[in-house]
Amino acid sequence: MSLLSLQNLTLTVNVDVSGQRLPAAVLRGIDLDVPEGRMLGLVGESGAGKSMVGRMVAGNLPPGFTITQGAIYFRGTDLNHLPPAQRRAMLGRQIAFIPQEPLSGLNPALTVRQQLFEHLRHVGIPAARHESYACDRLHEVGLADAAGMLARYPHQMSGGQCQRILIAMAFCGDPALIFADEPTTALDVITQAQIMRVLAEQQRRHQTSVVLVTHDLRLAAHVCDSIAVLYAGEVVEFGSARQVLDEPLHPYTRSLKESAPGMAAPTQALRTLPDFMPGLRDFATLRGCRFASRCPSRQEVCGQRDIALLDRGGERAARCLPSIPPLRAPADEDGTAFLVMRAMPPSSAEPVVTLSDVALRYPGRARLFKARPQLQILQPLSLSVAQGEFLGIVGESGSGKTSLARLIAGMVPPSAGRIAYATSERATDAPSAKPSRPATGRAPLADPHDVQLVFQNPDSALNPRRTVGSLVTQILEAAPAGAGADTGRSARLEAALRLLASVGLPPEAVDRLPSQLSGGQKQRVNIARALCVTPRLIVADEIVSGLDVSVQALILNLLLRLKQELGIALVFVSHDLAVVRYLCTRVLVLHQGNVVEQGPVDEVFERPRHAYTRALIAAVPPDSASRAWTPLPVGDTPAPNLAQAAA
Amino acid sequence: MTTLNFHAAPVAARLSGWWVALRASPKAALGGAIVLALLAVALFAPAIAPNDPLAQDLLSPLLPPAWAADGLSQYPLGTDSLGRCVLSRLIFGTRVALWVGLCAAMGAMLVGCTLALVAAYFGGRVDKAIGYLVDLWMSFPPVVLSLILMVGLGTGVGNVILAIVLVDWTRFCRVVRADALKIRRNDYVTAARLMGFGHMRVMLREMLPGLVPLILTLFSLQIGIAIIVEAILSFVGLSVPADVVAWGVMIADARGTMQEAIWTLIAPVTGIVLTVFGFNLLSDGMRQMLDPRKRGRN
Repeated sequence: MSLLSLQNLTLTVNVDVSGQRLPAAVLRGIDLDVPEGRMLGLVGESGAGKSMVGRMVAGNLPPGFTITQGAIYFRGTDLNHLPPAQRRAMLGRQIAFIPQEPLSGLNPALTVRQQLFEHLRHVGIPAARHESYACDRLHEVGLADAAGMLARYPHQMSGGQCQRILIAMAFCGDPALIFADEPTTALDVITQAQIMRVLAEQQRRHQTSVVLVTHDLRLAAHVCDSIAVLYAGEVVEFGSARQVLDEPLHPYTRSLKESAPGMAAPTQALRTLPDFMPGLRDFATLRGCRFASRCPSRQEVCGQRDIALLDRGGERAARCLPSIPPLRAPADEDGTAFLVMRAMPPSSAEPVVTLSDVALRYPGRARLFKARPQLQILQPLSLSVAQGEFLGIVGESGSGKTSLARLIAGMVPPSAGRIAYATSERATDAPSAKPSRPATGRAPLADPHDVQLVFQNPDSALNPRRTVGSLVTQILEAAPAGAGADTGRSARLEAALRLLASVGLPPEAVDRLPSQLSGGQKQRVNIARALCVTPRLIVADEIVSGLDVSVQALILNLLLRLKQELGIALVFVSHDLAVVRYLCTRVLVLHQGNVVEQGPVDEVFERPRHAYTRALIAAVPPDSASRAWTPLPVGDTPAPNLAQAAA
Repeated sequence: MTTLNFHAAPVAARLSGWWVALRASPKAALGGAIVLALLAVALFAPAIAPNDPLAQDLLSPLLPPAWAADGLSQYPLGTDSLGRCVLSRLIFGTRVALWVGLCAAMGAMLVGCTLALVAAYFGGRVDKAIGYLVDLWMSFPPVVLSLILMVGLGTGVGNVILAIVLVDWTRFCRVVRADALKIRRNDYVTAARLMGFGHMRVMLREMLPGLVPLILTLFSLQIGIAIIVEAILSFVGLSVPADVVAWGVMIADARGTMQEAIWTLIAPVTGIVLTVFGFNLLSDGMRQMLDPRKRGRN
């Protein structure tokens, strides 16, 4: 018998559609069973309603959302008809949650001991046993120094450590069901692999049922027993984890799989889908299959009637007509064009930027009567980026990859060494004795025609009060009057329209404010702004890490197209190895400020020489579910010992 | 989403947007109506007031309002101890109150916001220096500080304004700096620097627009505060010369006679309460209206 069973659940909220209040089904006809001691993956992009499932079970719905149909059975009792007090009593004791953001999941003002013990009291562990119980549980999640951890505050721990503590906390009192909402999204690859392993081990050890909410189909396929794929508030496919990844039935699942880059050498452009997932407002008026408008194998009937989740035998189900053939891979002739696009630049290509023996130090905290300590962020390194070359910089957080990107973009001066750009004579030398500080209130070091930086987070990088048109041509405002550049209103509008077209945005977006755009559109505006003066080099710092895979695919293909059309070079900082594998021609692996390996992407990824590179690659879930995922051991060490590896 | 035409960068659309927002926020509408009415009263005071506010009718002091048994229709709200028309004084008092409120708030806003922007933008030592100055300034008791200033500067409306500005700029500086720091940390400020924008331009074009809702909110709050401070200073006789009509002066005059003629006190107090209430409502409503993230959505 299943532990948790959602039966034909529909969650509705009223929305305003052109002046009318209409009910919109945020979740529609959800049928899910979580068997005892198994792990179910809920996979979907943002807006698919996957977090709403957890909130529904917790009875913690946002105001205005009501369950209009169906029932939630937990161990045979209908949760919706339970008195609120009883329902609350279940939370933490029988149903526990692991939040997405490890740092905000813990109270910054309390020590781990205070928070953990409070939870232990709540789940009914006698006070005398708190200390030993907590230590045991912390050991289980791979925290060796459990007693030391108890005394710490959240800010004294890494994100991975916080997440381990939250996992340990969720398993305290042995709940029957745990909801883990994107528990590894905020963490880097190696930590993600470790945390997933901890979660899976704990689940097996305590025979707990776990619902893992994630946007990563591949990750879910490797740790879960079965997977439900959500799209626009509906379960579109259900099946065993292996089958859903390797032989998807629904066109959306297939697209999801094909729009995420893999770890094998790419042979084809990623699949992209037109339009966006329908939103709340659309639900009120949408008829027929919710995926129909974007579906590559759409038929006429799809837009006319609702399609039920049909049993396809072997415990599999898909919300698609059986008569529709499985989606084919994109036509092969694209493949050659793609390989040309992704090819290495000729070896004769001139370098656009050259770093020689560049190092970066920050001054540490000043101490009385002692020399100010220097924090070495980057060890001396030399590198050059050729015209038309896409260089990937990978490493975990704290490895110095963002600092390197900022150096190349000219935001901070190097503490030692020299950075030379191709066009301008102006090379930046290390300032003599002064330790480097962020270039606040100082003229930028690099010419904007040489290099442009694209920031990670478009919400922060785009002034919310400027229109898109004014944002993408903002740099024209800085040009001195009469310097040859036409910065008049009509010229700016023309430039804006050209830029929007080159990043695939409609011309009417020119008047919009950033808040009126979706995340992917904002990131395209962000990229378009960097293209305004057609620089030779673009430095992109984690620009796809906050995006859904289908949007990420659009941006990656856009970058490849720009490379072909404009011949720009790109320095692409990312923690996602698969993305670098797909996009870049050369890769540089950073670890604690050291370049541990660099070379052509195919070579480094197929024959990694350094132990750290091997660990990074092993931490990525393999493309196919039939290949075992064997990441690092569970221990709380960030990486294999480099001193040994180098010896 | 609607599609707007880029060329007709639309004054009409913006105005209609304001209108829609105003209707959606009854608070701002009510506050705005009160403030507009007060402005009209102040502007047309000579036309509205039934009597000369300074003319004394020593034969009929402390007359009750017109609707009371002994009231005269000539003095709708009665007279004070010197036989001056309370309603006329109330109406003329609006002028001083609004003038002091607007000018003092404007001055405090300019001084406070400039220092706040500079502090937040440059950071480091500049920020520290301005921070210390504000801390030091705020450790003086505000009423005492303004009293000392008034003693030093002498009475007069201009000096009242100056005293209020010198006392209250710190509030602007503190509050605006906190928000400006938040904006400073956004990548778009760094991006503007990387594009070669000058300091002034980054501060005014990139940072200031994001602060406008907060500044306007503080501004209209400050008007209310300035009106009260002016009344306090008038009450202790350190504000305006005796021949200027101010609400604070009316309250001070009413102090001796309020046992037998409470209306002489109620009238100016009502004026103050209504004005401050109107500006507070307006500021609260404006804060919600001016955020493009809330206005831009449809």
